[in-house]
Amino acid sequence: MKHNILTAALLIGFIALMAVVTHLLGIRLYDRVVTNLMISLVLVVGLQTFMGNSGILSFAHVGFMGLGAYTSAVLTIPAQMKGMALPDLYPAMKVLEVHPVVGVLAGGIVAALVAAAVAYPLMRLSDAAAVITSFALLVVLHTVMNNWSAFTNGPRTLFGLPKATDMPIAAAVAGLAVVVALFFKESKVGKLLRASREDEVAAAAMGANIPKLRWQAFILAAFIAGIGGALWGHFITSFAPKSFFLKETFVIISMLVIGGANTVTGAVAGAVLVTLVYESLRGLEGLLNSIKIMGGQVIGLTEIVLAIAMIAVMILRPGGLFPSREIGHLITRIRRKRETSA
Amino acid sequence: MAFAIQFAIDVLSLGGAYALMALGLVIIYGILRLVNFAYGELIMVAGYTMFLTSGSGLPWLVMAAFAVVMAIVAGIATDYAAFRPVRAKSVTAVLITSFAFSNLLQNAALLFISPRPRNVPLPAIFSQTVEIGGAITPIRNLITIAASIVLLALVAWLMRKTTLGIAMRAAATNFTMARMLGVPANLIISSAFALSGFLAGVVGILWIGRIGTVVPGIGMEPLLVAFIATVIGGMRSLPGAVLGGFLLALIDTTLNYTLPQDLLKFRDAFTFSLVILILLWQPEGLLKGPASGQRT
Amino acid sequence: MLETRDLAVSYGAIRAVRGISFTVGKGELVCLLGANGAGKSSTIKCIAGALKAAGGSVLLDGADVTSASPERMVRAGMATVPETRDVFPDLTVAENLLLGSYIHRRDTAGNRENLERMHELFPRLAERSAQPAGTLSGGEQQMLVIARALMSRPRVLLLDEPSLGLAPAIVERIFEMIARLKETGLTILLVEQNVHQALSVADRAYVMRLGSMVLSGTPDEIRGASDLSALYLGG
Repeated sequence: MKHNILTAALLIGFIALMAVVTHLLGIRLYDRVVTNLMISLVLVVGLQTFMGNSGILSFAHVGFMGLGAYTSAVLTIPAQMKGMALPDLYPAMKVLEVHPVVGVLAGGIVAALVAAAVAYPLMRLSDAAAVITSFALLVVLHTVMNNWSAFTNGPRTLFGLPKATDMPIAAAVAGLAVVVALFFKESKVGKLLRASREDEVAAAAMGANIPKLRWQAFILAAFIAGIGGALWGHFITSFAPKSFFLKETFVIISMLVIGGANTVTGAVAGAVLVTLVYESLRGLEGLLNSIKIMGGQVIGLTEIVLAIAMIAVMILRPGGLFPSREIGHLITRIRRKRETSA
Repeated sequence: MAFAIQFAIDVLSLGGAYALMALGLVIIYGILRLVNFAYGELIMVAGYTMFLTSGSGLPWLVMAAFAVVMAIVAGIATDYAAFRPVRAKSVTAVLITSFAFSNLLQNAALLFISPRPRNVPLPAIFSQTVEIGGAITPIRNLITIAASIVLLALVAWLMRKTTLGIAMRAAATNFTMARMLGVPANLIISSAFALSGFLAGVVGILWIGRIGTVVPGIGMEPLLVAFIATVIGGMRSLPGAVLGGFLLALIDTTLNYTLPQDLLKFRDAFTFSLVILILLWQPEGLLKGPASGQRT
Repeated sequence: MLETRDLAVSYGAIRAVRGISFTVGKGELVCLLGANGAGKSSTIKCIAGALKAAGGSVLLDGADVTSASPERMVRAGMATVPETRDVFPDLTVAENLLLGSYIHRRDTAGNRENLERMHELFPRLAERSAQPAGTLSGGEQQMLVIARALMSRPRVLLLDEPSLGLAPAIVERIFEMIARLKETGLTILLVEQNVHQALSVADRAYVMRLGSMVLSGTPDEIRGASDLSALYLGG
């Protein structure tokens, strides 16, 4: 338990440090990058609560992120702007306008409710089938967002969200997500889930209802994803359904996998590392485009590098950078070793 | 009557294509326990091969055959790039590497070819229509039906009557035991990927024949179809994949005919809800695969 | 013909076989005895190529074949009947036998001849040729697995607990059949827990305990060893 507190303290300290340094630097570009990083952290840590404990890869996560973003958008876009931003919205909802905090929470709740409604049958499937259906679920959520014009303005960009998220708020929510994830990992549900990964039969014999445990973890993950999505919506203030699809999924999963899906530390480390690489490569792409070295537009280079990095990590270090132990645990162990050797 | 014929042709042509897509995916999963996320990109490879060879002046059938060969090559390349290095590791590791490889191929197409649609040469017959019993239908639907019957029969013959096919079925149940009878592991693995690539190549040409263009994301829908069909049919059963493919086509076509226009956009969501219902009733899918079996 | 030198097998950190050496001469029937967990099956699996050796070597006809792939061992003339009695349950009896002759798949005439011999040796298999192997009884499955192994025309046969879980009458017949195979000049390494039956057909025997070789000799010598049951029961 002690090393869990240490882990939480270290990770929150790290997040706070990044936030403070960015604030002191006061460079707009960095502020934007770090805010995005914090929001990615929320999403990756959210995915970790499901994948790290159940061992099942979920592709639907970014779909729930989208649900959160759209829910909050519908609730918070100022009434006088709704006519323009969401021309097809149901009249009763046109007058609705709540504070972004309520909107963000509602985003999390709606995502969690949808997850609760659709996910139970999926949690009974075997590994591969569960992953495949989570992928199908992502596509379906995307279809709905793309077509339910009343709520989402269809495939077109939705604009007019109040800009309520800034860097300190994103950092605070990221810290909170880390605490929740660590807490869930050590909760009874988290522990039983991880036990069931090692030996499904034994865990079932102990009375663990595995589909139900997975379902609970999935709902929690969707809730966090919804919050993260809404947060992002209030940062970027305009977005389209394509923001919540394969590209984003690929980035979020690469963050978790490269960092290590089994640990919250890994989720944090992966998010930071991939953001760094991503932003530098994007910069490089921009540079290449400006000097027109390839003749045409350079796109996709970032994703190619990320894909190769993911494959390399899976081959060389399949558990990611932090495959099994949290940072607090690692430090206590090193300290203990030093003490015994001294 | 005309309506019944129309409906039947629609279901059979869509179902044939779906069944082939699902079969190509389940061959890899059934034998090797590998979910190939890069399966859709095999179709993309076939499409771009057609695009790149379109100026060559070769007869169309030669170009099509070459596209299928490239899909086979890409299938075997998937094995070497994404699966071989991590095969001994977890199911999740394999899923992630193939997902990454899928992204790699797609973005390579974005970077080196173009994000915009590219035209694929098609013989005139693909755009002609024909009247059968009062129903007007594109000839390519009939080509799809014929091609799927031939290919399904071919796969059935291969799996039942040839030594290689029997060895592949044996390997699906117990890979180590098959090797202990002298069946080379690499032969089975490469054959499975080649067969998967072959099916993807053929179905890719038929599929692209509906729209006439190829984009980097072309493989997305076939992959999704294959995923859903195999989950319905039973993840490891070849007949299950075929059944799942036709069932999915039946659901989709029925919804196409019955849903009002403004709900039709949500067809995928309705289909998925039905799939969830099927899985509530039969979590293992409709048909069971071969007994037991371990990963290789 | 078959020889191991200091062969060791590990499952992760657990050492199942701790450096054993033994030989099987041409045409000999050698028996490997020992209680559950003595490391017999691990030894067989390692020789067959299904497990990698952690140390030592395996020699076949003097050539080093340590940790060769299973398919290479078959081509080198070795056939294995694992204790798990792995028929392919969804394949028919005929298909199972066909796979047995995989390495000779071009020699159809030879295979047909060989199949007839198998049908003679095991008439039940001929009757059930078109039936899925999963529907056979335990004894029939055992016969199928042995016949399937013989279809590869081996020079060395590894038999892992062929009597496991079978009714006494069937065990009797299996051992009669093993004796007949020996008469044909086939080299056999037999792993058994059924000591008396095994010794009745063996030329020589080795006894393993906790991964090590503790005793070797002719059947009479083994029977005469006063501490056999002690070794067996781990006392």
